[in-house]
Amino acid sequence: MPSGTDAATSGTADAGSDSFYVAHQKIYPREISGRFNRLRTITVITLLGLFYLVPWLRWNGRQAVLFDLPARKFYILGLTFWPQDFFLLSWLLIIAALSLFFFTALAGRLWCGYACPQTVWTEVFVWMERLAEGKRSQRMKLDLAPWTVHKVLRKGAKQVLWIGFALWTGYTFVGFFTPIVTLGREILALSLGPWESFWIVFYGFATYGNAGYLREQVCKYMCPYARFQSAMFDHDTLIVSYDRSRGEPRGARARGSDYRAKGLGDCIDCKVCVQACPTGIDIRNGLQYECIACTACIDACDQVMDRMNYPRGLIRYATERSMEGGATRVLRPRILIYGAVLGAFIVGFFLAVGMRNLLGIDVLRDRNALYRVLADGTIENVYTVRLLNKDELAHQLRLSAEGPIGLALDADRDAYTVGGGEVLTIAVRLRMPGPQPGGSHKVVLRATAVDAPQLTRASDTRFISPAG
Amino acid sequence: MNVEVKQRSQRWRDIAVALWTSFLAASGASVLCYAFVDPVDLELLRGIDSPFLARMTGYALGFFFFWGVALAACLLTLYLVRTADAASTAAVPPWTQEDR
Repeated sequence: MPSGTDAATSGTADAGSDSFYVAHQKIYPREISGRFNRLRTITVITLLGLFYLVPWLRWNGRQAVLFDLPARKFYILGLTFWPQDFFLLSWLLIIAALSLFFFTALAGRLWCGYACPQTVWTEVFVWMERLAEGKRSQRMKLDLAPWTVHKVLRKGAKQVLWIGFALWTGYTFVGFFTPIVTLGREILALSLGPWESFWIVFYGFATYGNAGYLREQVCKYMCPYARFQSAMFDHDTLIVSYDRSRGEPRGARARGSDYRAKGLGDCIDCKVCVQACPTGIDIRNGLQYECIACTACIDACDQVMDRMNYPRGLIRYATERSMEGGATRVLRPRILIYGAVLGAFIVGFFLAVGMRNLLGIDVLRDRNALYRVLADGTIENVYTVRLLNKDELAHQLRLSAEGPIGLALDADRDAYTVGGGEVLTIAVRLRMPGPQPGGSHKVVLRATAVDAPQLTRASDTRFISPAG
Repeated sequence: MNVEVKQRSQRWRDIAVALWTSFLAASGASVLCYAFVDPVDLELLRGIDSPFLARMTGYALGFFFFWGVALAACLLTLYLVRTADAASTAAVPPWTQEDR
C-alpha cells in the first residue's frame, strides 16, 4: 500500500493502515487557476457541450446521432448501422483501446486528467459545490458547523443544482437511445414509459453518486484502467513530476531571504499542491497510482513560484529520463508500434465503413415441411427471405437463385421495393423438376438492385429433395 | 478499529466491488447478446404487442439477468478467496480437529 495518502488521511492514520481499504476521508480540493486549469476548463466545456448538444442536432429530418435501440438501428449523421454491422462497433472499441495505449505511452494519463467522464462530471459537480458552499476553507467550516438555517440553505442549494443537473444528464443520455424530442414531450406530458423513466433515474443517480460523492474513489477503487495504465509507461512518458533535485530540501522561509545559504531548495513546503489535489496525494512523494495527471498541482505550484519570484516548473510535465538529466526520446519502438497498429485499425475501419454492403439478405428455410412434391412431380422448397436495405434511398430488389441445373425461383413479384433503412420479409419458393437424387443441394439466393446492379448480396441455403 | 468492524466494512466494500465488476460484465454481455438477438423474437416476450416495449423490456431484463449471474459469480469468487485461509479449519467437523 503506497503511503501517498497520508496527507489526506492524516487524521486516521491508525484506521486500518494495513488494510487496502483505508477509511475514507472527504477531500476538499482547493480552487486554483492557471494555464492547465484553463485548458481543462476548455476541455470540460467542449466535451460536455458535445454530450448535451449532439442529441439535439438534426439530419434529414431525423436526429443526427441516435442509437435507436427500440428500432435496432444506429444513425450517425448520414450513416445507418444495423445489428449486422456489429463488428464495426467492436472495431471502434479496439481503436478506442489502442488510442488509450498510444496516448498513455506518449503523455501519461491524459485520458484521466482531461477526458474521462468521471473527471469531467466531477469538475462540474465541484464547481457547483463551490457555487453553493464557497471556497475550500468555507466548505470545510460548513461541514463542521452545526445544522443552522444557513447550512441547510447552502447544502440545499447544492443538492438542487446537483440533482437537477444529474437528471438532465440522465435525460440527455437516454436521448441518445430514443429520440430526445419525443422523450422531452413525454416527460412534459407525464406519459413517459417505464423503462425510459427508469434509465433516466438510473443514469442520473449514477452521475450524482459518482461525481458528487465517490469522486476520486472511483479512480482509486473502481477503475480498471487506473490499475494497469502503468504497463504503458516507460522512462520517456510525460508525467506530472516534482523536481526533487531542485526542490529539496524543502522548508519555510521568508520571501526574498537567501534560502540557498540556509541550505534549502526551491520548495517552500506550503502544501498548496497537496490541497489542490483532487485525489489527496502529495506529488512530492513521486508518481503514485492515485495521480490522475489533472495538473492542478502544477498550476498551484506555479502560482506560489510566481509569488516567491522563483522560476516556474518545480512541479511540471516531464519525463523520468529528462528528470534524470537525459534527453527524452519521443519516437521510440513502443510509440511507433502502438502508432502503426492504431493507424492500421483506423484506415481499416474507414475502408470497412466505405465498402460496407448496403444490402442484406437473410434466408430461413420453412420450418414445417422440408419439401413438397407437386402433382407433376416437381419438388418445391419454401423459404422466408428478409431483405434489408441499409441505404438512405429506396431500391427495387430482384431475386435470383443459383444452383443445380433446372432450379427455378418462384416469387410473388418480379421486383420488391424496399424503402431506405427498411426490412421486407417475403416468402419465396424454389422448384426443381423431379425426381432428383435424394438429399441436400447447395443453392444461392441473390438480391440485386434493379436501379443499381452493383448493389447485390447473396446468401447460401439448402434445397432438400426426397430420396428416389 | 476493532476486527469485527473492520470485517464488516470489508464485507460491504467487497459487495460494492462485486456489484461494480458484474455491472461492467453485464454491460458487455448485453451489448454482445443483443447485437445478435432481437428481443422481439424471444418466446418470453411474445405477450407484449408493441415491438418498442418488447425490445425495451427485453434489453432491461437481459441486462439485469446478466448482472445477476455475474454478481453471483463475483460474490462466490470473493467468498471462496476470503474464506480460503479459514477453510482449512472451519470446513471440517470440530471433532476431527481435536485429533490434530
